[in-house]
Amino acid sequence: MEISTKIKESFPSLEPKECPYEQNGYHLSIEATKSNIVDIARFFIKEDFYLADLCCVDYIDYLELVYFFSKHDKLLRIKVTLKIDPEKPSAPTISHIYNIAHWFEREIHEFFGVLFDGHPFMVYLFLHDQIDFYSLRKKQVPVPDEDKRLLNSFKPEEQEDGFFLNLGPQHPSTHGVLRVVVKMNGEYILEAIPVLGYLHRMHEKMAENRTYQQFYPNAARMDYLGALNFNLGYVTTVEKLCGIEVPERAQYIRTITCELNRISSHLLWLGAFLADLGGLTPFLYTFDDREQILDILEAVTGSRLTYSYFRFGGLFNDVDDNFVDGVKKFINRLRSRFSMYDRLVTGNVIFINRVKDIGVMDRSYPIRYGCSGPVIRSIGIPFDMRKHEPYAAYDRIDFKIATGTNADNMDRYLVRIQEMENSLDIIEKALKELPTGPIKADKIPKKLKPPKGDIYHTIESPRGELGIYIVSDESDVPYRMRWRVPSYSNLMTFPELAKGTLIADAIATLGSYDLVIPEIDR
Amino acid sequence: MVKEVITGAISLLKGMGVTIKAFFSPVVTVQYPRETINITPRFRGHTKLVADDENPDKTRCIVCGMCERNCPSNSIQVIGEKKEGEKKKTLTKYILNFTTCSQCGICVESCPTDALAFSGDYNPASFNKETFYYDLVAEFEKRKK
Amino acid sequence: MCTLDNIIQIIGKEVARLILGLIGVLVVVVVNALVLTWVERKVSGHMQRRIGPKEVGPYGLIQPFADGLKLLAKELLTPANVDKPLYYLAPVIVFIPVLVSFIVIPFDGFLQVKDINVGILVILAFSSLSVLSILIAGWGSNNKYSLIGATRSVAQNIAYEIPLLLALLPVVFMANSLSLRDIVEAQREGWFVWRWQFFAFLIYFIAATAETNRTPFDLPEAESELVAGFHTEFSGMRFALFFLAEYTNIFIASAIATTFFLGGYLGPVLPGVVWFFIKTYFLVFVIMWFRWTFPRVRFDQLLNFSWKILIPVAFANLIVTGGILKL
Repeated sequence: MEISTKIKESFPSLEPKECPYEQNGYHLSIEATKSNIVDIARFFIKEDFYLADLCCVDYIDYLELVYFFSKHDKLLRIKVTLKIDPEKPSAPTISHIYNIAHWFEREIHEFFGVLFDGHPFMVYLFLHDQIDFYSLRKKQVPVPDEDKRLLNSFKPEEQEDGFFLNLGPQHPSTHGVLRVVVKMNGEYILEAIPVLGYLHRMHEKMAENRTYQQFYPNAARMDYLGALNFNLGYVTTVEKLCGIEVPERAQYIRTITCELNRISSHLLWLGAFLADLGGLTPFLYTFDDREQILDILEAVTGSRLTYSYFRFGGLFNDVDDNFVDGVKKFINRLRSRFSMYDRLVTGNVIFINRVKDIGVMDRSYPIRYGCSGPVIRSIGIPFDMRKHEPYAAYDRIDFKIATGTNADNMDRYLVRIQEMENSLDIIEKALKELPTGPIKADKIPKKLKPPKGDIYHTIESPRGELGIYIVSDESDVPYRMRWRVPSYSNLMTFPELAKGTLIADAIATLGSYDLVIPEIDR
Repeated sequence: MVKEVITGAISLLKGMGVTIKAFFSPVVTVQYPRETINITPRFRGHTKLVADDENPDKTRCIVCGMCERNCPSNSIQVIGEKKEGEKKKTLTKYILNFTTCSQCGICVESCPTDALAFSGDYNPASFNKETFYYDLVAEFEKRKK
Repeated sequence: MCTLDNIIQIIGKEVARLILGLIGVLVVVVVNALVLTWVERKVSGHMQRRIGPKEVGPYGLIQPFADGLKLLAKELLTPANVDKPLYYLAPVIVFIPVLVSFIVIPFDGFLQVKDINVGILVILAFSSLSVLSILIAGWGSNNKYSLIGATRSVAQNIAYEIPLLLALLPVVFMANSLSLRDIVEAQREGWFVWRWQFFAFLIYFIAATAETNRTPFDLPEAESELVAGFHTEFSGMRFALFFLAEYTNIFIASAIATTFFLGGYLGPVLPGVVWFFIKTYFLVFVIMWFRWTFPRVRFDQLLNFSWKILIPVAFANLIVTGGILKL
């Protein structure tokens, strides 16, 4: 591989190992040391790699930091590992190279106790006070006193003399429980700091205490608006790890239901975005459309919001003719509603002035922050996991990817509207080609024990790139499960984008990202 | 400049046209509880015990405890006793704590005799928590009558 | 009856008429505010394809009374560290311009409490007082969000009073008088909105929507940005007073538009009062229609719109009207 020759030229001491992509989800694996990890990060950012994930795994003799670097235009994923001493864990920071590492490292610090030298703001991200042990370690490691100082240390009002406003955890606008502390000068924002953790439920620790089958309901509750996509990601990852083949009919039905879920998530985003801007009526119209989808999915799966429909090797139960008829009727109905949304919203001069040329991202953001989904597609980069790394039936269906040109709020809005239309096309084509056959692979063991190893798999959720990293040690309980969620990296771009704007613009930008805070907090 | 003002004004009038059309259209809401809609038969709700085909007075449950072990939320308690002269255990109590149940369907799937099914009960309401500690055996007996 | 005649003889006809008029005005104000809350909820409901209130009374007609009763019974919570005189005065001051404006509006040929010969000047002068009450409410609440809402409202009101005035001036020129009765009478040959004042009507209507803090110009109470703007800290009856004053302001703005541009109480067949109310409530419906269709305008775009678009057009209209009258 040409990238490994380049790595060997720049770092003669490293030995990149080639790994089977089908089994592991990454192409190369490199073992780094504390002295060269920063140079490796610099090398990768020059080669246009973005940092997809940075997590930590506790193998009791040592802690291992795992970095995943990927590219936007080619399917190439490289895993870099760094072993750390478990007694006094510390590592150099790469947050001055990759901005997204700023939050990744804060999270690793509060769950594992790893101190990053040179990190500008080593304050807890999710947990706020009364921590006695580091939660994700395998043994009980108490929090040392000098670390306890860092608890409850985020008090911006006491440190400076400025006008601070809390876009508080309770909003009338439906983002979820996000608190943004904003330092203002009149109507202009000088600094915006998101404060997270109000909805932290510790799904990653729950994964280490439940078998693979028992974790089904948790996946849907992380992002309840794109629940089927999260279900699909989890199920596909474990199937790849165990080498389970899914029958064709199940793949097509998975595709159809995930696209329906994507449309319903975008419809809800549309209503909420306009409610942020002050137009309260389109909210009701989109919920009317969304109700049709929820009724169709309820008739198939039995739930309306937090589905547990997919199983390892297939589906829970089959679809019937009512489903096919219902979906066809729904497609025709929604296609006729788009012109109404155009007249009410897209062409409206007040809306255009609120949204055009606001929140413009330049081309360096995707590399530094790893943003994904409609956010990156509005910049003009056609990066969609459904085409980049196809899963389910996406490689057999021909569909278009919506891109924008200006990377402002208007383009993010238009990209999502276009995505809804493209999803309708996908559903139509998949329905036409729906094969008959079984919906579940046979011979799935009741207690699933995947082989030893790790895997990183990504899918395209309505918000962007969802990455799941599972480390298995041949028991029926995962050793470590890490969820890399798209809203995390999208939200991280907000402080830089909001500097110097009016508060009304900042709220419009926040609305256009389509954030779901429960998936950030997990 | 004048053109922008005119196109802007026309776009506003188009938007007003949409809302006035909706004003004169029928409502899409259903006045629950005076009107109800048909709930799909696959709706989940809490689980129920299924009668045995050969002996409709008894359930299919063999008190193996698979559902209790596989439940992610520890909401199930299966209590059975071995009666005199019988080879297998019989089920006396099946407590489902519906306040922690997430309706995932793992118990339904993992039962080796298919003794559990979803009940489709979509509007349970009560003033105290104890109503939701369902005893599925008692409900099965009530349904027999 | 004799005692009534005696009383009228003692205090004089004018004073008796004034007292009767004030009682009538209070009744109209309260009833109108109650009716408008019901109308707003029903209109918003049907525009969103749902029914508004329907449980309390047939078609929800008793809903406003239920709401009023609830607000009366609520505890009057005074937050700590408020500026007490300002906090207690604000809801009271907001009602003064409303009541004064009602005195000069001609409901019918003779149904007017007092026909002051500078009628419109009285209304415009007193409507500036409502800005004062918003500022007092925002400052006295000791709350960041209220302050931001209040300062926005002051800038907005000042910016939009000028187009309001400039849009009303051409009508005054054409009718040759500032008194509201004379302006209506001057429309016997045709309503001013058809006689060259269509743009003045549009400018007045937009400026009136901005003056009364309604969407798309409702930044002072922007719900999704600042919880509830300048009246965040007012609860119970104090909030009810702000609420009622807002709806009555909408009524007054529509009433002035009717009087100046749509012929006031003139119309065939039906009595004048009925025509007046039909026209005014139609304009109130249009203001509500705006609220449920459009998103909010951003603050600097709001000011730009007033200073760069509305005022030049209003000036142009004034000059054209002057030219027409000369010829």
